[in-house]
Amino acid sequence: MSGSEVIERPDTEAPIEGKEPIVRFEKISKSFGELDVLKEVDLDLYPGERVAIIGPSGSGKTTMARLLMTLEEPTDGYIEVDGRQLWHKEVNGELVKANEKHLHEVRGDIGMVFQHFHLFPHMTVLKNLMEAPIKVKGQTKAKAREEALAMLEKVGMVDFADQYPARLSGGQQQRVAIARALVMHPKVMLFDEPTSALDPETVGEVLEVIKEIAKDREMAMMLITHEMSFARDIADRIAFFDEGKIQEQGPPAKLLNNPETERLGEFLNRFGIDGNHG
Amino acid sequence: MKNLLSGAVPTIQLTLLGAALAFLLSFLGGFGRLSRFTAVRGVSGFIVEFFRGTSLLVQLFWLFYVLPFMGIRLESGMVGLLALGFNYGAYGSEVVRSAILSVPQGQHEAGISLNMTSLQRMRYIILPQAFRTMIPSFGNLLIELLKGTALVSLVTIPEMTFEALAMRTNDAQYTLEIFGWLLVIYFAISYPLTMLMRWTERRFSLGRL
Amino acid sequence: MVWDWKYALDILPGLLEVAPVTILATLGAFAVALILGLGLAFARRSTNRLLSGVTHAVVEFIRSTPPFVQLFFLFFVMPQFGVTMSALMTGILGLGIHYSTFLSEVYRAGIDSVEKGQWEAATALNFTPRQKWMRIILPQAIRPIIPVMGNYLITLFKETPMLLGITVVEMLSQAQIIGSQSFRYTEPVTLVGIFFLVLSYGASLLVKRLEIRLNVHR
Repeated sequence: MSGSEVIERPDTEAPIEGKEPIVRFEKISKSFGELDVLKEVDLDLYPGERVAIIGPSGSGKTTMARLLMTLEEPTDGYIEVDGRQLWHKEVNGELVKANEKHLHEVRGDIGMVFQHFHLFPHMTVLKNLMEAPIKVKGQTKAKAREEALAMLEKVGMVDFADQYPARLSGGQQQRVAIARALVMHPKVMLFDEPTSALDPETVGEVLEVIKEIAKDREMAMMLITHEMSFARDIADRIAFFDEGKIQEQGPPAKLLNNPETERLGEFLNRFGIDGNHG
Repeated sequence: MKNLLSGAVPTIQLTLLGAALAFLLSFLGGFGRLSRFTAVRGVSGFIVEFFRGTSLLVQLFWLFYVLPFMGIRLESGMVGLLALGFNYGAYGSEVVRSAILSVPQGQHEAGISLNMTSLQRMRYIILPQAFRTMIPSFGNLLIELLKGTALVSLVTIPEMTFEALAMRTNDAQYTLEIFGWLLVIYFAISYPLTMLMRWTERRFSLGRL
Repeated sequence: MVWDWKYALDILPGLLEVAPVTILATLGAFAVALILGLGLAFARRSTNRLLSGVTHAVVEFIRSTPPFVQLFFLFFVMPQFGVTMSALMTGILGLGIHYSTFLSEVYRAGIDSVEKGQWEAATALNFTPRQKWMRIILPQAIRPIIPVMGNYLITLFKETPMLLGITVVEMLSQAQIIGSQSFRYTEPVTLVGIFFLVLSYGASLLVKRLEIRLNVHR
């Protein structure tokens, strides 16, 4: 798997040979009060795999990412990360609800890029990238700094290292946010509609950066997005969420060109494949 | 004028020590009211509402008149310090609480996504941002506290107002001068404090933009 | 036992007897603060640089110095200039003046919060300046600041015990008098504390509800 060309994709119809999933959602349900956002969803993500999640708003796709990032607790079901239960802990052969310490151990494998960036406004760009490696991973300042600068270089933001986030455009902030997540070297990276809050003219630069880092085939990526053409270009597999369930999933070419379900057909008609939705 | 100025020293001492105590209690109370544990929230909520609800002077009198009946004898300076510290600490705890709550939820979430512990999130992400919001309110409270120190003259603490009242009894013909100067000296203490707070506020708001 | 229920009940009527003084002082001073505060807010907005500058200085001075000392100033100094009034009146005036400086800032914030378009619309409809203020600007400016005013009313209420400094017999002063007669201060002072707690906490809950209602109806 060289992966330098986006056309080259692993066959994801079947599990990637010889590999165990890095993330496994098992019969995951989530309700907010009366509202059932997710209904017994199963989804596997393999190491290095890139899965795009599409679907109308309110379909539960963002909740998937938030459950995996431990921002929200599932109502029912299990999530496994690299062979370990995320929300549960085995005590005497029984699975009990995990405590904060357990969550802290497991979620180190996950990174996330938010729709609204959530950069730390009181720190410079460079400090934003150095804070967690130093405080959470115990890296030395020098090492953290070196890596932070390298990562900023990669997302084209090295010239802004000493600026404060408020001075940057949305697209620039999001590139920094991506770098901030990357310096933690997660095994799985979540992108929660990373371009939805951006001005149209800065969407492109962020998508370019995501494509660039997608060349790294070590890290799995889960992309929640409205950009259909982007999903087609970058994903190995697309999952279509609607009404709290995965209605259909498969390789982009098949899913986008020959949708099996009526709902997906309607959805694609409305949002188009060029990403020029309203 | 000379006697007044010597009274200014205890006034300033009371202000600074009272502010230090109030600052400490503000954070204690503020964190208490945001605690995960219902019991801690309840107790600190009650204490805060108690001190906010029952007038500074009543608290001062209570400490001064009632405590001795319970066998607790405090020096009058201590009484003043405690009353000021607890009263303004209660107000300060509201400042701390609302400032912490004003930091957007997304900042907590970003901290979680970087696998920070809740302590790290509070220490490195939330508090530095909340602190900025607290400064102007703390500045106002500091001035209020300074103004409050005048009340402790009533429990025989020889601070500035106490001195002025004593002087008036001896030299009633200088009443205008005594109280005129007294007000000016209070202003001379509080205005620089106001200026200092505005400066701090500006300094800490660097980097926002 | 430190607390004597019988004694506490015995002195309660004596304490409550002066509750009207505390309430009157609170409402009187608040009325002064409301009216004078509006005046100060206008003076501060005046295009006359001298007037607005002097107002600003006076406001800063009054709000930076203790109301307790201001009370003494009025109480002792005014008679020297031939102005005599009762201690209670002096107290109402003194606290009222002190809090008018805070309320003037509140009014200012309220007036500033009215959109510029409202002024322009009022001009476009050819209202006189007086009509503009009374019918368009002030009604909109005051509505959002009502809860803040409510909070100042509560603060003012809690400041009234200091009137005992200028010989007004309000509740705390009465407690002190009762206490000095029997050398039992625990009950009277505690009862006054409870009186303040109940009223000010109750009022603060009302203000919170008011705030929510005002927001809902916006």
